[in-house]
Formats: sequence, structure tokens, C-alpha cells
Amino acid sequence: MIFNVYMLSIAFSILFLIIIIELVRKNRLLEKYSLLWILFGIMLLALSITPAFIEAIARLMDIKYAPSVLFLFGMVYVVIYNLHITVVLSKQSQQITRLNQEIAILKEKTGDFKTNDKA
Amino acid sequence: MIDPKVLVIIPAFNEEKSIAGVIREVKGNCKADILVVDDGSTDSTAQVALKEGVKVVSLPFNLGIGGAVQTGYIYANENNYDIAVQVDGDGQHDPSYLDELVAPILNEKYDMVIGSRYVQETSYKSTLSRRVGMVFFSWLLYFLTGKRIKDTTSGFRAVNRKIIRYFSSSYPTDYPEVDVIVRLFRKNCTILEVPVEMKERQGGKSSITPLKSIYYLIKVSLALLINILRSRGAL
Repeated sequence: MIFNVYMLSIAFSILFLIIIIELVRKNRLLEKYSLLWILFGIMLLALSITPAFIEAIARLMDIKYAPSVLFLFGMVYVVIYNLHITVVLSKQSQQITRLNQEIAILKEKTGDFKTNDKA
Repeated sequence: MIDPKVLVIIPAFNEEKSIAGVIREVKGNCKADILVVDDGSTDSTAQVALKEGVKVVSLPFNLGIGGAVQTGYIYANENNYDIAVQVDGDGQHDPSYLDELVAPILNEKYDMVIGSRYVQETSYKSTLSRRVGMVFFSWLLYFLTGKRIKDTTSGFRAVNRKIIRYFSSSYPTDYPEVDVIVRLFRKNCTILEVPVEMKERQGGKSSITPLKSIYYLIKVSLALLINILRSRGAL
């Protein structure tokens, strides 16, 4: 079988790594947020080219269909990365709140008060 | 402290109908400086407040009550106020009680004084769900800190310099009232409740809906429980 789930996974990880690096190169993804994705791509690639390793893990965990170890890995990684994103989001949310407050106070202090005339 | 610098913080979100009345009543009851925090209102709250000749800080976008009130504390901290008092912009809080709120801080060295609807029987009427919430939070607070506060959600409160400094660096963004009480007790601060009359809101409408109440209950309870896992000790 030339085209199997491992081949698919290898192709996907390579394409994925290329996309990530391209995004960083074009400054559309910050280096610090790309690190975890690059790690993901490399780990998925490593797992995909060593089916024997996957099968060993599957036997160890009593998983009947070995390639589902790949899916399990992908799922867990995405959940963890999502958590990471919400931590980043929370920090930014606090920073935006603070900026909002400081700007309002600064506007009052400089007398550069323009009321929000949205009505 | 012979002549304490007092700041009255009035958070207001779309309160153009009530804000002028609140400002005048505060002026009629004390000589404190007044700061209106316009929480990104879409009506003319800020303009109306400016016309009353008070300081107005206008947030570029709506933050919610916690973020708005904290803006007041940041301002109070930067301008070295000794005492800050929160008075809602919707006219529920009666400014004639301002002295009662400030006096225990000056004379008895309390860190925070809360104007409470429930210490004595007052004419204040509230909905059943609100009273159930009150009792629940009071109980949860007692369970977590061993201290009793009856009106945990009252936003009519005065704090001293130490708390102003603390609030300016750390204050919950939404639903802050109960959360803050637990935090302060954990930091060994002293809190006193004094009875006040509260009025029906003068304009605008309450932001509380049934679904929001449930979210409120769960979110605040979680925040309180998490507080217990934070470090204790003096401020």
C-alpha cells in the first residue's frame, strides 16, 4: 500500500511546516507563537515516518487501530495549544483594559477631552 | 489626617438621564472631588457630566463596571487621594450617607466601609431572585472567610489609601463586588457595613437578565473559590 494514513500524515506535516515558516517569513505569525506549531509539525512528521514506533505505542495502550495514535496525538496537542492561546488572550485582554483606562485618564489630564459622540 | 482628600468615583454607562441629579446630590452632601467614569457610553453621559463641572474620564470603549471603577482607583492613586468612595451613576445610592461611609475610615481606621441595604430594615425592595442571591453570597463568604457581610453586592463603598493603591493595581473586571470582599478579608483588611437607604434607579435599566443572573452566580462563585487558593497575608 503506497498511499496510506502514514503517507498522508507525512505529506500533511511537511506542508504544514512549510505553511508555518511561510507565515513567519511574511510576518503574519510571530516567532514565539510559531514555536509550538513547528514543534507540532516536527513531532507529527517523526511519528509518521516511524510506523513501528506508533504500533508499539498502540500495543502498549491497547489501541486496536494503530494510526489512531496519530489522531490522539493531534487532538491532545490541539487542546493544549488552545489552552495556550486562551492564556495569551487573557493576558492581552488585561493589557487592553489597562491601556483603555490609561488613555482615558491621560485624555482628561491633557485636557484633550473629546467626548465619544457616537449618538 | 486633618483634612483628608476624598474622591467620589461615579461609574456611569448610558446614564444621561440620572447622572446630573447624582452629581448635584453628591455636591450637596460633601466637598469631595468628583470623578465621573464614563464607561464608553453611547449617549451623552459624558457631556452632561462635563456640564455639571466635574472631572470626567471617558473610556474609549465599554469595560464593564469593574474596569470602570478601577479607572477611578487608578486616578485616585495617581492623584494621592486618601479616601475614595464609589457611588453608582444610576441614582440608586443616596449621597446623604457619604459622611457615614467616610467617618469609620477616618475615626476607626477601617479599610473599607460598605453601604448596606440589609443591616437594618429599610424601605428597599428587591426581587426574590436578588434576595436569594444575596443570602447565597453572604453564606458563601462566611463559609470561605468566616466573616459576615450582609450586602455583599452593594457598590456603595468607601476605601482608604491602602486599598486605593491595591485596587489600582488589581481589580476584577466584571462582577467585582463580592470578589473584592473576599480578597480584602484574605489580605487581613477590615470591612464595616453601615446601613443605608437605597432608592429605585432614577433612569436607564438594570443590566441583569435571568440568564445573566445564573452566569453571574456561577462566575462569582468560581472567582471566590479561586481566591481561596491565592496567597494570604497583609497588603
